[in-house]
Amino acid sequence: MNTRAQPLPVTPANRETSRAGFRPVLFAVAMAAVALAVWPWLAGQFVLHLAIMACINIVIVNGLSLIDRSGQLSFGHSAPVALGAYASVLLVTWTGMGVVPSALLGLVFVALLAALLGWVILRLKGVYFVLVTFAFAELVRLVLLDAAPITGGASGIAGIAPMQIAGWLFDSRERFYLLALVMAVASLGLMIWLFQRPLGHAMEAVAANPALAESTGINVLRIQIVAYVIGSVLAGMGGVLIARYVGFISPESFGTSASVAFITMLVIGGRKSVYGPVLGALVLTPLPELFRGAVQTQHMFYGAALILILRFLPGGIASLVGMLRSSRSSQ
Amino acid sequence: MNWYLLLGQATVNGLVVGLLYLLMAVGFTLVFGVMRMVNFAHGEFYMLGAFAAYVLMVHLGAPFLLAVVLTVVIAIVFGSLVEWLVLKPFRKDELNGMIVTIGLAMILQNVALMVFGPDPVSVPAIATGASSFLGVTVANSRLYVIAFAVAVLVLLYVFLRHSAVGRGLRAVVEDADIAALQGVKARLYYPLGFGIGIGLAAIAGALMAPLFSVSPFMGQAPLLKAFMVVILGGLGSIPGAALAGLCLGLLESYTALFLESSTADMLIFILVIVGMLAFPRGLIGKGEA
Repeated sequence: MNTRAQPLPVTPANRETSRAGFRPVLFAVAMAAVALAVWPWLAGQFVLHLAIMACINIVIVNGLSLIDRSGQLSFGHSAPVALGAYASVLLVTWTGMGVVPSALLGLVFVALLAALLGWVILRLKGVYFVLVTFAFAELVRLVLLDAAPITGGASGIAGIAPMQIAGWLFDSRERFYLLALVMAVASLGLMIWLFQRPLGHAMEAVAANPALAESTGINVLRIQIVAYVIGSVLAGMGGVLIARYVGFISPESFGTSASVAFITMLVIGGRKSVYGPVLGALVLTPLPELFRGAVQTQHMFYGAALILILRFLPGGIASLVGMLRSSRSSQ
Repeated sequence: MNWYLLLGQATVNGLVVGLLYLLMAVGFTLVFGVMRMVNFAHGEFYMLGAFAAYVLMVHLGAPFLLAVVLTVVIAIVFGSLVEWLVLKPFRKDELNGMIVTIGLAMILQNVALMVFGPDPVSVPAIATGASSFLGVTVANSRLYVIAFAVAVLVLLYVFLRHSAVGRGLRAVVEDADIAALQGVKARLYYPLGFGIGIGLAAIAGALMAPLFSVSPFMGQAPLLKAFMVVILGGLGSIPGAALAGLCLGLLESYTALFLESSTADMLIFILVIVGMLAFPRGLIGKGEA
């Protein structure tokens, strides 16, 4: 849900285009985004469901994007999602505390684990990091399956109570969409804010050239750990939302295919842009529904779409905006 | 129960599974070596190899050996075509190439699902009866699979070591740019390298088809194991993949004697993660700096 009439982050690429003359376009885009955000409330339960899932995916993929923009692509992004979901639900069962405190504590757990794990595995680079995060996500899934007395094993945990904040129960789709939308916008706001700050610049410097960044006094490992922790917490947040929205979690919902789906959203949306995760989640969450006729054809089109977009639009959908803008400014 | 007997059985089973991992991982690492691309569709090519053997043997009545040879030839041609038609723009593009192979895996798996349906099918055993060695009784079909897999590996070794094409391929794996400077036509080795890598996955599928059931989803588990193996052995290192594949198969088989298989799986994951941290470039691999 790409909403407000917020100016784009000023980077050398778009500095010249963010002049006063560009405002009407920006205004129109903002209006369209608001309309798009409001539309699900008027369009029935199915659209509302898709909108909620898209918002949750935006939060999760923003987390993945954050890690990616510090120079490390995680292939096990379903792991923090699963950990956030399970930790927040189990804490309620064990301690009887409220939904919000348990969610917060669950996220603290995700953050601590991410810090510890990140400190160890972020020393690995490139494909090695991809493979070890993949292995870690499988490990998490196996542990959740194996610890059946605690986690319910393959049958998962059902009947999870809805989210309740300050006495307000998010027990209908209409209400939950509000929560999901706020979280999605907040996570986007966090990303925009972060990448205008020195910390965000440091992350991009680390991604662009770790050796050079190190030589300018940036602690590469520390910056990457910070990105990994924040990114994992965003994923954990997504997990909390999924558990409270669907009311059911099982290890199978957080398997390899989930990690693959998040990466796909990031890449198709655009890895280099703040808006990439938003666009990716918006396009890919409802996309399978277009091919609903048969499950097989659905997945085949999905795979073909993936290949074609990478072939003809390697910068993702977000790069279309840049292409439009550059063709505009060259006029 | 007799421990000696159990250990003997576990060794043979571990060898079979280890050789499966080995073939998968060597193909996988060959593809990575040539194209710098993690091939997520590798398990799907394994699955297609098994289905090719199934069609050839069950529907067309081909004998096992012929079915395996035909499967490999088809796989190499098909793999080269796929590389040339789909993957060409993504050579050396680690991340986008990897994601393209995910799309490829989705397509292949669902084509198989449409053609063969979701239910597993079986391929007749290649041999009946059992043999005894030192008091350990082993099904003949497993011994045949071991013999075939070893033969494939010897052929691969001879090909890579002693043929001009094999030497060119190794040069490209070593360093494509320098190989090109030496007059190796690297452009031809991309489809060929991918085709041979895929061919190895397909051989694994065809060899294992008579032992396990064949289904469109069968490629997932061996792909994961191939990942583990190449992490342990070092990406791009063929000897590393061979050693680690065999070790992993045996380890899995032995731990299954004492632990539940899910616990054994978990232990192996932990071992791989720890191993990778201790040897960031694998047991043998040179990795890339």
